[in-house]
Amino acid sequence: MAAHPSVIGRTTRVRGRVTGEVDLDVQGFVDGEIAVGGDVTIDAHGMVGGGVRGRRLVVRGAVKGDLHGEEAIALEDGARVVGDVRAPRVAIAPGALVRGFVETGEGSGASGKASRAQPAARPAAAPPKVAPAAAKAHAGNSAAAAAGPRRPPPPVVPALKKAKGQIAKKKER
Amino acid sequence: MASTVIGAGITVEGEITTDEDVVVAGTVRGKLTAKEGVTIEHGATVEADVAGASLVVGGSLTGNVKAARVTIADGAQFKGNVDMDV
Repeated sequence: MAAHPSVIGRTTRVRGRVTGEVDLDVQGFVDGEIAVGGDVTIDAHGMVGGGVRGRRLVVRGAVKGDLHGEEAIALEDGARVVGDVRAPRVAIAPGALVRGFVETGEGSGASGKASRAQPAARPAAAPPKVAPAAAKAHAGNSAAAAAGPRRPPPPVVPALKKAKGQIAKKKER
Repeated sequence: MASTVIGAGITVEGEITTDEDVVVAGTVRGKLTAKEGVTIEHGATVEADVAGASLVVGGSLTGNVKAARVTIADGAQFKGNVDMDV
């Protein structure tokens, strides 16, 4: 086994299922599901169009599908993941992009049953998506803020003042 | 040289296409197309149509083969048509 670590090479395209009990290194394209008992590395050039299941997953490439790690998942710089990420330990490095539900902790990798109670995971996982959305919201709220440099707090402060004012008016009545 | 290795303990069900060498020590079912050499190692099981520049069979191969050079090792199992562009 050790003599032949399994590699899906750079120019290789697999359409179908890849299963087994050993480690796998994906440098090419797998259009289908990967389910192995060993570790899976998805290289910077690797792309997977399906779910990936393994003991430990290291992703530097692109995955469109759910990731299940029995022990751990590491999404490194350059990783692009569209799908859910579940493992006892999940690491998302700066530069990694995720769109999906992230669940860490015991039982998350094996069962995959999600108690969707971690809304904080989503914004933290996809900072590039949040930033433009927030900028648009500010521009819409106040036309004056659109001309000036990025100032996230100001829209919040007027909103609080308005609320206070409304309460004060109610009290006056 | 970087190439594709389907190691022992790995099963691929589907289609594999590549521009580089392929070494199969595990199991492949479906179709295997390479521009370079294909090696099916002793202990490997391939149930697929195989195309490549050259083919070396040391394990078990069931399927049709299209390659310019085909080598079947002593003790290998093979069942299928061979097309060597004669």
